[in-house]
Amino acid sequence: MYLSLLIFLLLFSSHLSSPLPTCAGTASTMRSVYLLLPALLLLLALPVSRGRYNDDFDDGEDLADFADDNDFAEFEDVSEDTAAEPETAPPPRVAPPAQPAEDDEDEATVELEEDGQEDGFEDSDTQDQDMYSKYDPDEFDGMEKPSQSLKDPLIIHTTYFLNCTLTTKKNIPLKCDYYMEILMVTGLLAYIMNYIIGKNKNSRLATAWFNSHRELLESNFALVGDDGTSKDAVSTGKLNQENEHIYNLWCSGRVCCEGMLIQLKFVKRQDLLNVLARMMRPVCDQVQIKVTLNDEDMDTFVFAVGTKKAMARMQKEMQDLSEFCSDKPKSGAKYGLPELLAILTEMGEVTDGVMDSKMVHYITNHADKIESIHFSDQFSGAKVVQEDGQPLKLPETKKTLLFTFNVPGMGNTSPKDMDTLLPLMNMVIYSIDKVKKLRLNREGKQKADKNRARVEENFLKQTHNQRQEAAQTRREEKKRAEKERIMSEEDPERQRRLEEAAQRRDQKKIEKKQMKMKQIKVKAM
Amino acid sequence: MSANNMSGPQRVNKIIRYKPPSTEANPTLEDPTPDYMNLLGMIFSMCGLMLKLKWCAWIAVYCSFISFANSRSSEDTKQMMSSFMLSISAVVMSYLQNPQPMSPPW
Repeated sequence: MYLSLLIFLLLFSSHLSSPLPTCAGTASTMRSVYLLLPALLLLLALPVSRGRYNDDFDDGEDLADFADDNDFAEFEDVSEDTAAEPETAPPPRVAPPAQPAEDDEDEATVELEEDGQEDGFEDSDTQDQDMYSKYDPDEFDGMEKPSQSLKDPLIIHTTYFLNCTLTTKKNIPLKCDYYMEILMVTGLLAYIMNYIIGKNKNSRLATAWFNSHRELLESNFALVGDDGTSKDAVSTGKLNQENEHIYNLWCSGRVCCEGMLIQLKFVKRQDLLNVLARMMRPVCDQVQIKVTLNDEDMDTFVFAVGTKKAMARMQKEMQDLSEFCSDKPKSGAKYGLPELLAILTEMGEVTDGVMDSKMVHYITNHADKIESIHFSDQFSGAKVVQEDGQPLKLPETKKTLLFTFNVPGMGNTSPKDMDTLLPLMNMVIYSIDKVKKLRLNREGKQKADKNRARVEENFLKQTHNQRQEAAQTRREEKKRAEKERIMSEEDPERQRRLEEAAQRRDQKKIEKKQMKMKQIKVKAM
Repeated sequence: MSANNMSGPQRVNKIIRYKPPSTEANPTLEDPTPDYMNLLGMIFSMCGLMLKLKWCAWIAVYCSFISFANSRSSEDTKQMMSSFMLSISAVVMSYLQNPQPMSPPW
């Protein structure tokens, strides 16, 4: 048993030290193999650990036990060197150094040792008897009396374990004391089963989505599928698997946009805990599409439409929506959309421009699948929460179109449901072309520019105090460092000279400030 | 037929390579579950080993399984394997030291 464990561990470590394959497909199968192997190890290890001897024994005495039975006469090496090397006890047992000539002698020595070790054995006997006193002697009617094997703890433990699974003559199951362990192992097996099933389901859903959308994407983009690692910009034609529940697809090479990143964010079907949590609170699979645009592809506006909940959340979380769309979300009914959708916009003209008849048609027909649609030229992601007040720099912005769609089925999706998302992808393509053509009129443009200037000014004001404080601390740090340098100078002459130099510098600074103040006063006058 | 190969909206000259979004920029968007579970698993397995508590060791095994299931494919498998091995060794050691079955808390 130990040998097999050791061999297992050796194989494992050699496997790990060899370079792992980088291909996504084989990596995932490797991962499931890695999952199964520890489980197997665990199942192997448990009976081994239960069959182990008591701490009171060392292996020398155990071999003495074996020497009782003539079958084990070959393994009698009851001398002190076997006691000194307990770990190699299995190999000697397996590969017997046959010493048949020394049988009688060894038996004699064994008996002597046995007598001498009576005290040592008493403990085990009383222990064994305690275990057996729990059971009725009648229960062992049909079984062989374990008389000789009473002295062998290995056999005791295994029969004890086996007894848990056997029933008596009266067909009443014995009180099995290991039921918690069995429960645990069953739970682990259930987790592994759920992992495999969930992973496969997610993989099938992703493949189904890609198969139904492949044609549309290939007819619109020159590069469909890229993991960023290959030398040439060649379409890989498949999804990047980030996780067991997240798949990415990057498409690029089209007029009007830089590129499009599609993320299939499925529910965590591979995690049993998540599956149980979803029974309480159902969650949808989501498809998130992020289209990044060049500067010339989009005019300056910020707009969002989606479910009321999503709009409320995004207005609080998103940097650009909170700054530019400060009004509460308006109901979509005004523009012919279903009641459940709300609109956040920078100005009314933008909404009129975006919500043309075709868009309204798309959105109305698929309102149940739309979570949010967000067009912005000032997109910088969610608000960054910093502990020490505001960040000192304006966050970088990028012209982006974001779409979040819910897959129908509320978690219980089938691969066929992926086809229903195809019209939404058509809407995405239509939006890209539309945004390119959408231009604000002069008034709108002025308003938009004013808004952006206002936001920047606010930001600078808020950070003004902070920037001043930062500059002040920097100046103080410099002074302190200089003072330390002066103090650490051992030569008194040098010290004096440095001090004088510092004083002169300070004087100059004060004079400069005074000059500036005078100049300002003169100018004011 | 031969006139315009680029009849569709595709433009080969406008291809931009994929750049995986840097995780330092948005640590809040990343799922922290695998890291927490890894840490929990290690803590429980150390508790199980030191304090000889069987239930700690079993929970450690569960934690490392959960961490594995939620982990990203870019994560180091060696880290996963080491936490697996640690939790399994915690279980084995607890049973070696005390082969009695685990008693339920009720």
